[in-house]
Amino acid sequence: MEKIYTKIVNGQSGEAKFFLGNEAIVRGAIESGIDVYTFYPGTPSSEVGETFIALFKKVGMKWVESSINEKVAMEVAGAAYARGATAMVGMKNVGLNVASDPLFALATTSPKNENSALVILVADDPQQHSSAVEMDSRNFLKLFKIPALEPGNPQECLEFTKEAFNISKELKLPVIIRTVTMVAHARSNVIVGNIKKSELKNDFDLSKEFNVALRTFFLEMKEDHIYNRMVKALEISEKSKLNRVENENFTNEFELGIITSGVSYSYVVEALNFLGLKAPILKIGIINPLPVRKIISFLDKFKKILIVEENDPYLETQVLAIAHRDNLKVRIFGKDPFSYSKEGLLLPYVGELNPTKVALALINITKLKPKLNLEQILERKYESLTRVPSLCPGCPHRTTGYALQKAVKKVKSTTRKEVYFYQDIGCYTLLALPPFSFANVKYCMGSSIALAQGVTHTSESLNIAIIGDGTFFHSGIPALLNGIYNKAPILVLILDNGWIGMTGQQPHPGSDTLYYAEGDFKKRIYLERLLLGTGAEFDVIKHAEKQDGKYSVELYDLIYRKSLEVLESKNLHVILIQDECIQKTIKRQAIIIRAVDTDSCNNCSICYNQFLCPAIVEIEDNAYIDSGICLGCGVCEEICPNKAIHKEEI
Amino acid sequence: MIYDCYTIVITGLGGQGLIKIIQILGTALMNEGYKVISSETHGLSQRGGKVTCFLRFGNTLNAPIPMIGTADMIIALEESTIIDALKFTKPDKSTLLIISTYEKNVLGQEYPSIQGLLNNLYERSDKIYFIPAMEIAEKQTGNPKTMNSVILGYITKFLYLNKKVLEESINHNFSETIIELNLKAFNEGLNL
Repeated sequence: MEKIYTKIVNGQSGEAKFFLGNEAIVRGAIESGIDVYTFYPGTPSSEVGETFIALFKKVGMKWVESSINEKVAMEVAGAAYARGATAMVGMKNVGLNVASDPLFALATTSPKNENSALVILVADDPQQHSSAVEMDSRNFLKLFKIPALEPGNPQECLEFTKEAFNISKELKLPVIIRTVTMVAHARSNVIVGNIKKSELKNDFDLSKEFNVALRTFFLEMKEDHIYNRMVKALEISEKSKLNRVENENFTNEFELGIITSGVSYSYVVEALNFLGLKAPILKIGIINPLPVRKIISFLDKFKKILIVEENDPYLETQVLAIAHRDNLKVRIFGKDPFSYSKEGLLLPYVGELNPTKVALALINITKLKPKLNLEQILERKYESLTRVPSLCPGCPHRTTGYALQKAVKKVKSTTRKEVYFYQDIGCYTLLALPPFSFANVKYCMGSSIALAQGVTHTSESLNIAIIGDGTFFHSGIPALLNGIYNKAPILVLILDNGWIGMTGQQPHPGSDTLYYAEGDFKKRIYLERLLLGTGAEFDVIKHAEKQDGKYSVELYDLIYRKSLEVLESKNLHVILIQDECIQKTIKRQAIIIRAVDTDSCNNCSICYNQFLCPAIVEIEDNAYIDSGICLGCGVCEEICPNKAIHKEEI
Repeated sequence: MIYDCYTIVITGLGGQGLIKIIQILGTALMNEGYKVISSETHGLSQRGGKVTCFLRFGNTLNAPIPMIGTADMIIALEESTIIDALKFTKPDKSTLLIISTYEKNVLGQEYPSIQGLLNNLYERSDKIYFIPAMEIAEKQTGNPKTMNSVILGYITKFLYLNKKVLEESINHNFSETIIELNLKAFNEGLNL
């Protein structure tokens, strides 16, 4: 923690730091005198929250929390903003869907406290490097009608965050900072500014006329929001140096200009340099409201315009409308937002951009022939290994998957019923891949339990919902209550590894923080007590309490018996499987790795072929445990039929 | 040495420590006065899967992703993953290919033969270097995980970087208990 503080907070104005985009956002917020940060972890936004958690007390911030979900995070930060705090809330793109309900009202409210400022960090993930869906959150901007800034590199992450706080404080509107993976997870030199201390006042005004979304007040606030505050936002956008023309004096024979924003700007510069093409670029930093006058005067200078943006044609649709409204004779290239056809598409709707894709679009328009034949390079294909991501060595979900696989096989053979699986968002989603293949339907955070109900009410099959503890707290609880109340005959497996594992083991309300750096700092909510309160039938199985080498067998047996019960009794049943995330366990417990006794091993392949531990491979007709990879969960020792696996002697 | 823009592509498997290499090398390059930018991918989808990262430095700030056909150096932390980055090699075959001989098999798929791999590599580059970084790490430090520091040492020569700056960066980016081991591994790589 000390290291993080030194890295982020130390350093005088003008000093260069090698920052991750997300770290630069934290620094920018601290330079803006931030009081409150709330978040729900989600790649690629998680490091912002983790960094704040590590240093907030020492920085003198009032409050930082990893909230139960994005809606709650938005509400906690929103009311802090209402009472005069400099607040920020962070999430990934799909998190904004969850937080959109409060944000719609919040965007219109009009805090009357001088220091009120709210910045909303939304991290998109084009190419779905670590997301269930690819979603362009910019489309929300027209709904919320709030300013939004899009940085394109770590330095801009710092500067744009500060500017977002300034705009929010001035206009009393929440302001979005929109990043993408290649910005949030880029590292670069960042010149820092000065830290600003909190200016939170003890007195504040929470008058209902400005903060309550209710018909009596709302329309008046909405008038002020649109006709007053957004008009001012437009003026800021027109004047801001964040919206600027680069290389204004450049000309080219094609009379081509380029409009772009964020990280796409850097791809444009790279592609233009590659082609030796000189073209002015309108770089948009404030992506809502767009600087209309600046766009008009830019369009007016060219016969052709290429709009370069990732995913949806958000800028393009608006630029087309502006060109039409002002009757400008300019041909606009990009994605053609009204065709949805892949035919002749210059830039893709789907996936991340890169300089090569932008260069190909420019070649298409200009017919330039660069020395390097890009298409020829792309055509040359090589065969390579397919590698699917895997659960960590020692991951408790692997044990659950292994037990579940055996149980389901037996259920199918005894009952002749079909078995279907409903998945959720977490590391355990990987159980959807072979050989387990536990997935029939999966949508979003917290959906599994309701999805199982949708099929169970309309078929005779066994329907199993698989959900993690973090996701259950996030949005699984209402679906469970719905299922209990409606007597939905489903089996719910809560894979409780104690943490929000996938995004870096952040705590949730059920986390036992006592043994870790966080300490016993919050009131823990025990899942078993919560289940007791619902009146649902449930069992709890804890790996930590079963050190007799029979855990995986007992888990298998329990899932098998309860599956039959669900089919017979027509009642919902929950199994709470408690087995801590190995990445956490190894932080408080010495690793006792396992080894294979080659004399006893008959290479039955169960450990590397069915259990699929990445630490176990086949070498010279024996199973072999890679000591550099094994994290010592010991489950292979349990499942080995020949008792050939034992603790490594040190 | 002054570079306008130098592009390194690093390939490997999620969990192999690609991000650590970027942190150490990037900090060192920044302290040498370069503008540096890197890109990386985090999160669940990467663990055990194939990962490609970029590190670019020079007099001006570049895009986090390079054009195909323009890389100066490609480092593969797992032998077979070099294949996925070959589109970044320069057509004049001048891109340095630095390949760790570590091989990670995939169940149910045949690992590419060394001859097949070499045929593809020779088609793209005249400067191919294989290093048994894992073996060196294990032999010299007793810890195979210091393999990345061996590689860092090895590439330092090619980049004409100051050894001291890299060592400082290693000091800065590892926890106390493993700094010495990694410095040793780094120097082993440097002296190869």
